[in-house]
Amino acid sequence: MAADPLILLIEDEAPMRRFLRAALGTHPYRLIEAETMRAGLAMAASHAPDVILLDLGLPDADGIDATARIREWSTIPIIVLSARGREGDKVAALDAGADDYLTKPFSVGELLARIRVALRHATATGKPDPAVVVGPLRIDLGSRIVTVNGAEVHLTPTEYKLLAALARFAGRVMTHRQLVKEVWGRHTITATQALRVHMNQIRHKIEADPARPTLITTEPGVGYRMKEPQSDQ
Amino acid sequence: MHLTDRRPDPDELLARVKQAEAREQTGRRRGWWERFRGSLAETLVGRNPGIEISVTTGTPGDRPPARRQRPRTVAPPAYGLILGVIAGATGLGFALRRVLSTADVAMLYLLGVVIVGSRSRTRPAVIVAVLSIALFDFIFVPPYYTFAVSDASYLLTFAMMLGIGIVVARLTGRIGEDADRLRERERETAAAYALSRDISQAADVAGIEAATRKHLEWAVAGTIDIFLPGQPGHLPESDPVATWVLDNGKPAGPGTDTRPSQDGLYLPLATTGRPLGVVRISRPDAGQLMDTVHRSLVEALVAQAALGLERVILSARNESSRIEVEAERLRTSLLSSLSHDLRTPLASIEGAASSLLDGSTRPAEMRDELAHTIVDESRRMNRLVGNLLEMVRVQSGSLAVQKEWQPLEEVIGIVLLRLDDRLTDFKVSVGLPGTLPLVPMDGLLIEQVLINLVENAAKYAREGATIDISADAQDDSVVVSIADRGPGVPAAERERIFEKFYRIGSGGGIGLGLAICRGIIQAHGGRIWTEDRPGGGAVFRFTLPIDGPAPALPKEEES
Repeated sequence: MAADPLILLIEDEAPMRRFLRAALGTHPYRLIEAETMRAGLAMAASHAPDVILLDLGLPDADGIDATARIREWSTIPIIVLSARGREGDKVAALDAGADDYLTKPFSVGELLARIRVALRHATATGKPDPAVVVGPLRIDLGSRIVTVNGAEVHLTPTEYKLLAALARFAGRVMTHRQLVKEVWGRHTITATQALRVHMNQIRHKIEADPARPTLITTEPGVGYRMKEPQSDQ
Repeated sequence: MHLTDRRPDPDELLARVKQAEAREQTGRRRGWWERFRGSLAETLVGRNPGIEISVTTGTPGDRPPARRQRPRTVAPPAYGLILGVIAGATGLGFALRRVLSTADVAMLYLLGVVIVGSRSRTRPAVIVAVLSIALFDFIFVPPYYTFAVSDASYLLTFAMMLGIGIVVARLTGRIGEDADRLRERERETAAAYALSRDISQAADVAGIEAATRKHLEWAVAGTIDIFLPGQPGHLPESDPVATWVLDNGKPAGPGTDTRPSQDGLYLPLATTGRPLGVVRISRPDAGQLMDTVHRSLVEALVAQAALGLERVILSARNESSRIEVEAERLRTSLLSSLSHDLRTPLASIEGAASSLLDGSTRPAEMRDELAHTIVDESRRMNRLVGNLLEMVRVQSGSLAVQKEWQPLEEVIGIVLLRLDDRLTDFKVSVGLPGTLPLVPMDGLLIEQVLINLVENAAKYAREGATIDISADAQDDSVVVSIADRGPGVPAAERERIFEKFYRIGSGGGIGLGLAICRGIIQAHGGRIWTEDRPGGGAVFRFTLPIDGPAPALPKEEES
């Protein structure tokens, strides 16, 4: 039996570390902590953690820079922690290679969900699921058939590409830039606007109430997230 | 068709030729020969009776060139008048010589002298007097047709004619000069008036500067530079003379005691105390401006500019102290809000957490209750802090609106998701027309507006009530409405509720939500207001302008 997943927490604030220690302690995770980016990077290299929780407000380094540096040699999932109102930082960290983010203050439930998704994507690399099932929505990536409650949904090629990109990374946030790149290949000025319009159209086709989307949520100022798929067992 | 293709107008050409000026320096003393023979100008006048000749007196620079000397015209009409008057008097005297006594004829000539004197200047009157005497002597005084005089008393008559001629000429000359001076004074008054009018209309330093520059340039015919310390774009440090004038409050440059060889004339812009700035007048012979004739005008204009400047600076200072008072009031009110609104949830959190730690709280449901209190109260505190931070952003002007075309529905979706746990007691209905266009907005900021408005509605509406969110496209804007069935907003409060820290009654919150909404909507170029909802309740509406066409997207076929 494999050991419990190892989580590296890089965070300078003691109360935050204490809270996370308590929150993760009751779950099957092992936790190691670093107060500075320098110590954190050293531990990332020496302990090979399964997930890194990285605070973007560290005094000794730029978190976005650090993310990029970790990505030079590792694909360890990185979840960045940051305050609300710093959407630009989050997007920059995500575009630099971070897997997901949490806005402080966050609940334990959110934290555990993010870690779960990050671990699943890390272990599932290489063999994408042929079908992604999120509530009533089923996306068959092999046959390119999308159904809601068993009824087939007709999408335009762009809408399908968008939905498929979100489905491949279901549960994880996708930044506007990442989605635009997936769908159009390159980023243009009006692409984000086009993205929003297509997303609106998709929602009208798959959501029960497009004004209260539950399958694909908007991450304000950052991007979109498809709901975490139900676990197989 | 170009004007150059036009054939020259003969009248226009003629007019141009007539403007030819003969300048002459008459400031120096004239030689006796010149006095006798007449000046160059007079000679020219005599030889070219068809051309108007302007004679400008004074050495060059004697007066500022722009205060153009009114040309003293010795034009043919004056000589025509002389000839006419002489001929008239002589003819009339000769015709009526049988009726008139010699003394009457003398009176006729005198009348001529007075007429010429009143119509023109000194010299023509004297000329008429002399000519009259000569003709009177020659024709009317026995022995006739000689200049000899038999009766010595006629010499007295001649002397009196000459005397009257001179006196009349002097008088009219003085009247003319008075008129000149009056016109000059009028011009100065006009300049001063125009400046004071423009200055009184100027609202800021730049306005005063522009008005001063314009009128002073016109009045002194020079280039004006204004140095104002502490104003952007003005560096008196770069000009040592300006700095000196600023420090000493005395003029410098030509015509003054300091640096008389300097190029420009520097005058302090001062009312009382330290000068507010320095005016530099650059023009040839700037020193002339400091002579007795021009000094008063220049000083009056500069003093007016200084007064205007002082007024503007003082009112700006008043404004900033008013803002300071306002900020102080805000700070006080902020502090009292903070101490109350942040401490209340903090007290609950601390109480709940410490009783959990105590361990004496055994029943599981009670522990749950305490834990929920902590979570709820921390969320409330988080909202309060969020609102405070948002207000600071709106207030400090650091609110950068990043507009992007996006569907309103998406933003409403985020709002409903974020408010999910607080809207459990309400029904929220969303009514968006399918034709609603994309709206250029900063999604994060409009999200904040909608959250505050929906929360506000929830605060005053009864449990189980419906909150309606709707939007309508108008010509050049989209109107978003959030309607509730609460008690509504009293008409007298509808403006004030958008002010900071204003709240009706003692409802929760610190009275920032609507102020933030207004700040954000105004930053978008929109408007926010509240009105009665037909059937009871309040509607909060805001507009978002749609400037320009939305970006077009390619159409696609569904597979």
